[in-house]
This record gives sequence, structure tokens and C-alpha cells, in this order.
Amino acid sequence: MKWTWTIIALLAAALAAGCGTKKGFEKPGFAYGCPIGDQKISSMEDLVKAKVAYEGKRTTIAVTEMRCTMSGDLIKIDAILNNDSSRVKRISYKWRWIDREGMRAWEEEVWKPLLMNENSNIGVTGIAPTNKAVDYRLVLLSQE
Amino acid sequence: MIATNCMRRVAPLPLLVVVALAAGCAHEKTQYGDARATETVTNQFGSTDLQMIAESMTRSMLQTPLITSGNLPIVTVQEVKNKTSEYIDTRSITDSIRAELQKSGKVRFAVDAAAMQQQVEELQRQQSELYEKEQAVEKGKMVGAQYRMEGNITSIVKQAKDVKDVFYKFNLQLWNIRNGLLEWTDEKEIRKTTSKG
Repeated sequence: MKWTWTIIALLAAALAAGCGTKKGFEKPGFAYGCPIGDQKISSMEDLVKAKVAYEGKRTTIAVTEMRCTMSGDLIKIDAILNNDSSRVKRISYKWRWIDREGMRAWEEEVWKPLLMNENSNIGVTGIAPTNKAVDYRLVLLSQE
Repeated sequence: MIATNCMRRVAPLPLLVVVALAAGCAHEKTQYGDARATETVTNQFGSTDLQMIAESMTRSMLQTPLITSGNLPIVTVQEVKNKTSEYIDTRSITDSIRAELQKSGKVRFAVDAAAMQQQVEELQRQQSELYEKEQAVEKGKMVGAQYRMEGNITSIVKQAKDVKDVFYKFNLQLWNIRNGLLEWTDEKEIRKTTSKG
């Protein structure tokens, strides 16, 4: 009986540990492959909140997913943008690259116009222009 | 008679006032803008198109194994053919691409055909008796490019009564000069639609 309870307890602990590591085996300071420094990021929502900035009129377009990888020594980001409204939306976006000291690693990018059909998702990809860029922000601007 | 003449002179006065007011309202105003903002004044090739093409091509090229290997390939810039119906300074596009790649520190550029004349003239000038022999650059030390970059830009223009649609396609290629192999190529497509009303 004692052994049964021990096994049940161990199984529960293993299951809890499994659920608690939904990001998989990630290096410290990274979430979903993206650099987060010493920020506490425990979900995709947290990551999006930390990495997305808005300028000008706030758009209703939402970033729903963001994942990073390395392409050679350059950071590469895939972001999914969602338009859940029943209207076509126009936005502009750009990536802002940040170096190890928290300074701009590159000059401001051009605003890239994007048309989003009603109830649609679209993926945008950013690749760092230099290996000095170790962090980034996705900046959104409404064009409505 | 005199009164009638006077009336004729006075009659256009309100009109003149309106014209003067309108001219006053339409005064010119000059402001600095964001050089990186999206420009949609007309649907002709514009600054946003140029900047987007340069950025997209550079970032794509930086991911090729040829460049990620860190061997600092030496590239020369050749012509980007303008196959559109409008005037586009394609040199400006390649200049922007070259500037971004050079800044990345992953590519080196050899003097291209367009700048060769000036390069040769400077070399020859330094060979003249005006310069100290020890400090003048030697002939025969220039480094040839391993790769050449060339491309083209095409457009499809469709126009109906109230709608004009322009589709641009920019294609860039990186060729290995030694063996003639295409090492990298990519395209950037841009669609712009203008509608009246």
C-alpha cells in the first residue's frame, strides 16, 4: 500500500514537471528560441507582450505567435499576425534591432506595408542585419 | 454714366477678395518627414519600394551559406536592368544593397565597371612624378571579384477606368565568376493599386 502511494506521488510529480516545461529544453535567457534576458516569460502571450511595440494609432492586429532561431550567427524571427475582424486592415511593420548593451544595433528599418484580409493570419519574418543584434522588437503601426 | 463705370470697377471686388483669400489659404508649407515612412503619393516606383527591395535582398543574401561561412566573399556590382516602362535609377537600388552588405561586415566589394575609370585614373596619377615613389600605390595589386551581382526589375501595369494596378518584380542574382554557377538568387514582389473616388 505504501509502495502504491509512493508510485502515484512519483507519477504525479513527473506529470507536473512535464506540464511545467512546455517550452521544452531551452537555454536560460531564451523563450521559444527568442532572447528574453532575465525577464520572466512563461507563455507565448508574455513573449509577445515583451517583444511587440506599437507606434502611432494602435492597430487591432494582434501578434499571436513568435518564434526565433539562428541563421548562421544572425537571429531570425517568425511572427504570426492575426486580423480577427471582418474588415480588411492595413498596417505597417518594422523590426528594431538591439545590441548587447541595449542600444540600437542597426538604423531604423523601412516601414513595410502589409494588407491583411478579413479573418486571416499572415506570417512575417525578420532577419537581423548584423550579428551585433542580439535582441529585437516588432513594431506595428496602423495605416487605417 | 460715371456711376455705371464705377459700378463696373467695384463689381469684381468681392471676386478679388475671394481670390486673395484662396491664395492666402493655399500657402506652401515645408516640413521634414520620416525618410523611412511608407510613401503613397503616386503608384510609381518610390522611396518605400527602393528601401524595401534593398532591405529584403540584403537580408536574404546574408543567409546564404556562401556568406554565413565567414569567408568574406569579394563581390562586384553589375547592372540591374530596368525592364519597366518608367524611369528607375537602378544604380540607387544596388548602391543601397551594397551599403547594407558592406555594413554587415560579411561581404567585401571590388571596384565595379562603373567606377573602374576613376580607379585607373587615380592609379595612373600616383605613378606620375608628382608623387613619392615609395608611397605611391603599385600597379597590379588590385583584387578581382569572385562573384558578380546582377539583376533586373520588371513591371506589369494594368489600368481600367478608375483603377490602376502596378506589379513590380525585382530579381537579384549572385554569380560565381570562376565557374559560372548561380550561387544565390531572390525576388521581391510589390503590388500597388490606385483607385479613384
